[in-house]
Amino acid sequence: MPADEQQLRAWMIGALDGDAADYASLLRTLAPLLRAFYGRRVVSGGDDIEDMVQETLIAVHTRRATYDRNRAFTAWLFAIARYKMIDHFRRSRREVPLDELEGTLIAEDSTTDSQAQRDVDELLKTLPPKQAGAIRATRLEGMSVAEAAAAGGIGESDVKVSVHRGLKALAARIRGTAR
Amino acid sequence: MNTEQLIGALSRDLKPVRRYAVGRRLALGVVAGALVSAALILLTLGSRPDLWLAMQGSTFWVKWGYTLSLTVAAIFATARLARPDPGNLRPLWWAVVPVLLLATIGVVELMRTPSTNWLGMWLGHSWHVCPWLVLLLAVPIFIGLLWSFRRLAPTRLRAAGAAAGLLAGASAATVYCLHCPEVSAIFVLTWYSLGILLAVLGGALLGPRLMRWR
Repeated sequence: MPADEQQLRAWMIGALDGDAADYASLLRTLAPLLRAFYGRRVVSGGDDIEDMVQETLIAVHTRRATYDRNRAFTAWLFAIARYKMIDHFRRSRREVPLDELEGTLIAEDSTTDSQAQRDVDELLKTLPPKQAGAIRATRLEGMSVAEAAAAGGIGESDVKVSVHRGLKALAARIRGTAR
Repeated sequence: MNTEQLIGALSRDLKPVRRYAVGRRLALGVVAGALVSAALILLTLGSRPDLWLAMQGSTFWVKWGYTLSLTVAAIFATARLARPDPGNLRPLWWAVVPVLLLATIGVVELMRTPSTNWLGMWLGHSWHVCPWLVLLLAVPIFIGLLWSFRRLAPTRLRAAGAAAGLLAGASAATVYCLHCPEVSAIFVLTWYSLGILLAVLGGALLGPRLMRWR
């Protein structure tokens, strides 16, 4: 729902005068607005974004007296949202020492890597050996088509066709399991 | 708690907000702090013995005019910076008007005085304590403002701290006029302003630490 400045401001002024219905409409409209705001700026995603949305809604509530009825509402809102974003990351950085964080990231990275490796192995096993070998050689080990052909003792066009058919079969299988 | 539940809880907690709530809260902090400062100066050093008489003369009002107009300018600055979106800060330059006016009065006074007396006019009897007393009296007022800020939402913390320092310093100088018997404009321009400036610096230093909110 696109919400315009005028509508938000009218709700906010209603809320300042004590109208709970206006206030609930306001907050309900702000939640997706803030989600989009943080979604555009934060890559870590998910929980972080929802945390910040909630923190900002609470700040809108506790600091609502600082809204000046004669000025733009969205400017006020996004100034709070920006402050909350900086505050959020400053705090989460303080809670995890930088060295440790780096260790965690590397560890997480390597587990996802080896997991991906296992998945690929699992998938290649389902293909005929010739296709699996051709894909492994050209796509995972970085050989050229000529090198793969020489290594496998088959023709270059055979390698290309094998890779093509193999990838097509894998794609079909992945789509099938995703469904 | 999911966001929908949070919204429900917040809208049940709604209470109306009065107009000019920021200004009211700042004024309350300043007045409470200034009462403490006034009690401090009156109970330790006492008021100037001729306070009543002086209030009928012009020099007292030049001093008070200076410190009070700075206080008013500082209230506007602080109220702006207490909001998350301070907006255009250029109007805050109006705060230099009282300084320029006082400087003009100072120049006029100097021209009317033989130059051999200039140093005496400038240093008075209390130049070495005046800035420090102003700074000291600014402390309770600054604490009062920190209380005000607990409900406000500054996002430029250093600037907000400096503005609160200016407000504390200028109102402390207003309180100090009750005690200080100095009369010349250049004395006030130099030593009062120095004390106020120290309060501004202190505020700018402490703002990022003490005015952060969650």
